[in-house]
Amino acid sequence: MKENEDKGWSPYIAGALSGIVSILSIWIAGKFFGASTTFVRSSGMIEKLFDPERVAKMEYFIKELPIIDWQWMFVAGIFIGSLIASTTSGSFRWKAVPDMWEARFGPSKVKRGFVAFIGGVIAMFGARLADG
Amino acid sequence: MTILIYGLITGILFGFLLQKGRVIRYDKQLGALRLTDMTIVKFMLTTILVSMVGVYLLKDLGLAKLSIKPTILGGVILGGLIFGVGWGLLGYCPGTSAGALGEGRWDAFWGILGMLTGAAIYAEVYPTIKQTVLTWGNYGKITLPQVLGINHWFIIPVFVIGGLVLFRWFEKKGL
Repeated sequence: MKENEDKGWSPYIAGALSGIVSILSIWIAGKFFGASTTFVRSSGMIEKLFDPERVAKMEYFIKELPIIDWQWMFVAGIFIGSLIASTTSGSFRWKAVPDMWEARFGPSKVKRGFVAFIGGVIAMFGARLADG
Repeated sequence: MTILIYGLITGILFGFLLQKGRVIRYDKQLGALRLTDMTIVKFMLTTILVSMVGVYLLKDLGLAKLSIKPTILGGVILGGLIFGVGWGLLGYCPGTSAGALGEGRWDAFWGILGMLTGAAIYAEVYPTIKQTVLTWGNYGKITLPQVLGINHWFIIPVFVIGGLVLFRWFEKKGL
């Protein structure tokens, strides 16, 4: 089945429910949705395994401590929630090359993986620069 | 500990809804960037509009505080442009990459590794960036109601109506 023929819920309904989840989160936990700070904290945690003294002195890791916090668990939760929703609806697919990519750039997993990695580096640098 | 459990539960609910809305896929994200499929715009904007009303209600009732980030034009404009290039190449954003992996689209794994690397590079150059780009056009923690000097309940309906008009247009055009 092509990705676009696989209909889920209306994006308006799913989006509105997400809005309600966000309001409840702000109300109950005082926490706003976010994801990119988690990548900073995780990088810091990985670097700490190799050189904890250096990480302890780095200004950005002092600002965003390399620890597991609310947002880190939130991002882990997104993975679990998506896994539950996809496996219970038969829309889980183990695949490494998206349809639209394959139609344009071919089936190579290496090519797709390489561009995804480079894209990730650039996207996160930009996201952090914009503080978003 | 409780706060970590709140984070996990909130994430599970949000991830579930992201997957149900079919918004975490490469094809959907690229569809939005290529202006051919507005599914993720519908999802995001609906979430924002609903949250906007709810959060300001909570604020007025004294039940929540806003979390306002400083408006720094240098960081936002340059960062936004750079993020856009990366997003177009990767086809997932930081939050949705975790969701994409959850529905088995494991090219997102390479994206996550890339994003960890990007975060590490940013941490290296942060002291320099802090003294340069992040000082360009810093307006501090401002909001639209504050800048315009009017009550937020005059601005929120404008956004809600604008959003609804846009949604109607999307549906008409079959986007």
